[in-house]
Amino acid sequence: MEKKLKDLKEQFLREVEEAKDSKLLSDLKTKYLGRKGELTNVLKEVKDLAVEEKPKIGKLANEVKNELAVIFSKTERIIKNKQSGGGMNFDPTMPGIREETGHLHPSTIVQYEIEDIFAQMGFGVYDGPQVESEYYNFTALNTPEDHPARDSQDTFWLEQGLLLRSQTSNLQVRMLEKYGPPFRGIFPGRVFRNEATDASHDHTFYQLEGLMVDKDINIGNLIAVMKSFLSTFFNTEVDVRLRPGFFPFVEPGFELDIKCLICDGKGCSVCSQSGWVELMPCGLVHPEVIKAANLDPKEYSGFAFGLGFTRLVMMRYKIDDIRLLQSGDLRFLKQF
Amino acid sequence: MYLSLDWAKDWIKLPKDLETKQLALDFTMAIVEVEEVIERSANLKDIVVAKVSEVTKHPDADRLQVCQVDVGEKIEQIVCGGTNLSKGMLVAVAKVGSRVKWHGEGDLVTMAKTKIRGVESNGMIAAAEEIGLENLFPQKSDKEILDLSAMKLKVGDELAEALELNDTIIDIDNKSINHRPDLWGQYGLARELAAIYKLKLKDYPNFELKGKNETKLKVTVEDKDNCFRYLGLAIKNIKVEDSPWWLKKRLEAVGIRPINNIVDVTNYVMYELGQPMHAFDATHIEGAHIKVKQAGKGEKFVTLDGENRKLPEGALMIADAKKYVALAGVMGGQNSEISIDTSEVILESASFRAASVRRTATAVGLRSESSARFEKSLDPVMAGMAIRRAAELILELCPDAYIASNLVDIDNNPFKPITLEVSEELINNRFGLTIPTAEIKDTLHRLQFDLKYKAKTFTIGVPSFRATKDISIPEDIVEEVARIYGYDNIKFELPKVNIDSPIVNLDYLAAKDIRRWLSLSQKYYEIYNYPFTNQAWAKKLGLELNNHLRVKNALSPEQVYLNISLLPNLLARAEENMRWYDEFKMYELERTFDKISKGTYQTDNTRKKFLPKQDKYLVGVEVSKKNKEELFLSTKGMLGALMEHLNVELDFEESDLAYASIVYDIKYKDINLGQFGLLEDDLFDSGDNKVNVAFWQINFTLFLKYINKVKKYATLAKFPAVYRDMAVVVDKGLKWADLEAEIVKISPLIRHLEPFDVFSGKGIEEGQKSIAWHLEFRSNDRTLLAEDVDKLMDDILLILQKKFEAVLR
Repeated sequence: MEKKLKDLKEQFLREVEEAKDSKLLSDLKTKYLGRKGELTNVLKEVKDLAVEEKPKIGKLANEVKNELAVIFSKTERIIKNKQSGGGMNFDPTMPGIREETGHLHPSTIVQYEIEDIFAQMGFGVYDGPQVESEYYNFTALNTPEDHPARDSQDTFWLEQGLLLRSQTSNLQVRMLEKYGPPFRGIFPGRVFRNEATDASHDHTFYQLEGLMVDKDINIGNLIAVMKSFLSTFFNTEVDVRLRPGFFPFVEPGFELDIKCLICDGKGCSVCSQSGWVELMPCGLVHPEVIKAANLDPKEYSGFAFGLGFTRLVMMRYKIDDIRLLQSGDLRFLKQF
Repeated sequence: MYLSLDWAKDWIKLPKDLETKQLALDFTMAIVEVEEVIERSANLKDIVVAKVSEVTKHPDADRLQVCQVDVGEKIEQIVCGGTNLSKGMLVAVAKVGSRVKWHGEGDLVTMAKTKIRGVESNGMIAAAEEIGLENLFPQKSDKEILDLSAMKLKVGDELAEALELNDTIIDIDNKSINHRPDLWGQYGLARELAAIYKLKLKDYPNFELKGKNETKLKVTVEDKDNCFRYLGLAIKNIKVEDSPWWLKKRLEAVGIRPINNIVDVTNYVMYELGQPMHAFDATHIEGAHIKVKQAGKGEKFVTLDGENRKLPEGALMIADAKKYVALAGVMGGQNSEISIDTSEVILESASFRAASVRRTATAVGLRSESSARFEKSLDPVMAGMAIRRAAELILELCPDAYIASNLVDIDNNPFKPITLEVSEELINNRFGLTIPTAEIKDTLHRLQFDLKYKAKTFTIGVPSFRATKDISIPEDIVEEVARIYGYDNIKFELPKVNIDSPIVNLDYLAAKDIRRWLSLSQKYYEIYNYPFTNQAWAKKLGLELNNHLRVKNALSPEQVYLNISLLPNLLARAEENMRWYDEFKMYELERTFDKISKGTYQTDNTRKKFLPKQDKYLVGVEVSKKNKEELFLSTKGMLGALMEHLNVELDFEESDLAYASIVYDIKYKDINLGQFGLLEDDLFDSGDNKVNVAFWQINFTLFLKYINKVKKYATLAKFPAVYRDMAVVVDKGLKWADLEAEIVKISPLIRHLEPFDVFSGKGIEEGQKSIAWHLEFRSNDRTLLAEDVDKLMDDILLILQKKFEAVLR
């Protein structure tokens, strides 16, 4: 009896599946649930069962009946809707209607992303002047009087010995003066270089400087912070390496490379076959810079790094012409 | 800068199993960046020594000849246009499959079997420039093929082997050695290799000068501040000729074109030691007297390259008794140049102040290999080593030559010996790792530091070649040890820090909030612009260029003035985009630069002077097909919504501007924060599209102060509101704001008014308008009855009749 019910149910399901119009469906209804339907017949047999079987089978038979009724009415509705268009008199395959939106600049999007990562490591976000004094842009950063970076081929000079900052490092000493140690901060912003423009160079571009000053900061700390940041940013475990590099305001100074994410270090055109991509200069803060902030280099040390932020944005979106970023061309900007 | 491994082997013996790829990596990781490793023979593959055995005219081309050439294993037929081609000539044949540069230009191409005007040709008889040998074999014309007949070479041999061009050259990024004056010669680079591979380094040759004192050479240094050392030496009986092959080969390997034996020796020493040298033809040095002095005003001088150069006043010059003979540290003069007839030379080996050479080189626009080195601040001790080495080489190359003067040495070396006390703890703490003491000692020894170790502290004598600017503090020693020990050994460890209270940066937070609000809820595009003002637009907006900060060394006349307003550039961008779109909104949030007022940023640590004010502005533009009223009101509405979002209460107050057809000031109490309005139509060239343009600008820096982060919620209404409409006919000039002000004064129960229809024309008397609005009435303590509202409606009408002669519609 039990098996009979089960078979009946399965048979019904198969046939319902195949019923494509209401005529067939209505036939099915009669066949199973009608007064002389198959299920009704089975139900009738229940009264002939042994007394101890009756309640169990009776319950099961009713359950099956209800189940079939539900499936039947659901199928009936679907078929009806299909045939009549469900009362929806339109073509749903037409393109979706979108509300137009505005757009953040791609650099802003990436900047906020980076800021969030550093914020979680306890780095504040700071900003400062773009028209800067020679003192904060060079002198306080241990850059000698006759250093080529001060030349007019590299830096835009204004009247009264002022200049357009050539690096976001101009905030290193300013921020240490203002907030003192321990200090952890990043300084994103635009910088200016007196150089001819082409697809990969612009006179105005963006950097993101980072500075941490505390007691006993070492090279291992610098790499660990960089590796954490880069792995989060690129959303994959990033291998980094340091090699010697020279910048007046760090000692020792490094170039930080990451293992090429395109070829995984095997060598490709992006990394000029070397397996590594140069990403940012960094180093331990030079004692002269600590002193310029009126701190004792015996007590405090720190690290600094300068992310070529615009390049990172270009990498992220595969932008092949830097000038697009400041073109204000909506055809470009609407893609972000 | 090129390093020739063959050259370096004069002083070190590199490990046999060391692959050049590994060497390049080690170099990059511990010393300086390697750009490329060049195997000298790589591009000479399948190029062989060959003999021309037969030459016949090409049947179909006047300038071509058909040659039968013995390439060793067989005779090949090759079509050639070489003007100097002759039977029996020893030539270089680029066989099929080799890579050559057509006519010395463009990229390398692979040789293939071909037919030239119908005649089969299997390879190419190469010109020097086609196989990269133009420095070793200068060509007189580009039609000339390389003639090897003068050399004893075996037909069929690979050319690279035959000419011994099998060096490995390491191309080093010049930028990465700017701070290392000691690495501008082969010897300095070999010293570094010796340190990283723990090799024995041979001493640099120290040739003992022996000779006569026939030439009474005299040197007078007038400018001791800029000339740190000057050594002079006369050598007689020299014979100027081509240098021997080994010397040419080495110069060529580091990228120098051989000229003649004397010039080549000075170049050789410069590339070997990093010390630039010069040789004068002694017969052109009046009175055998060398003077080092400054140029006067408006003087000129003809350098070796034949250029008559204007000298900057104060440029350091080398002179004889009567005239200038060299631009110190930059280039020699034509008047005392070594020629084929020169038999006596005066060698110069000197040391000049880096800044002085750089200034002169920049001013005359001539950066030479010499000036590039002096700019790095060379060690004056090297000048003495160099002149001995040069003398040694000249005597070796010219067997009849002899030293004809005393070595004159005017030494005013300003660099004092540097001794540093460096604790072992500092090295290990900064590195974040304990390096064995013996390892530290060994590394510093190999880098030729003088060393004493006592009580866990090193007393370190810095060698003179590192003491001119490179190494001056203990942290420099940390780097020396760490880089040789290997940055790879560093343990990554996140810093252990204490938690500080946060520093709230309202500027940053508000900017982020506003940008997202505008871009993500108001359909605004965020724009980044340059800091240089668009001058045409500045003029249209009546901004005086004289009030702008000026860039003294601007890239172009269009990039001279710094923005005092963000509007000119934003409007320029808007106009450009009108080509593609007729409806868009854009904004920029950036700093402006005020020439007149000072801001809060100090110029230095004395805190007495301040930088120009650099307030940030938030500026927007909307280009739209909406009519003027709609565009104005939607801009006003957007600003109102922004203020509500930021919880600031601002007022808009009618104002005027020459370039705007309507403009309102944005005010916080009495403080003017900016404006908004519509621009005059004739400002834009919008083509066929008829558009209207709205603008708004807010001094963001000032505005920040009034943003109120504390929002307080209003209690939800407990009693229902009653809604009514009212419509009246009033004078056409009546402003809604005035009408509204009168109505809300009547009772606090009048909660909200909203106009929904303004109409004039048909059915309305001339000069009048009909205006209709919704009203909301509500009490906080009871449900209003119809009678209450009726009464208020009567009161409103009464007031409107009285004040504005309104007639109910």
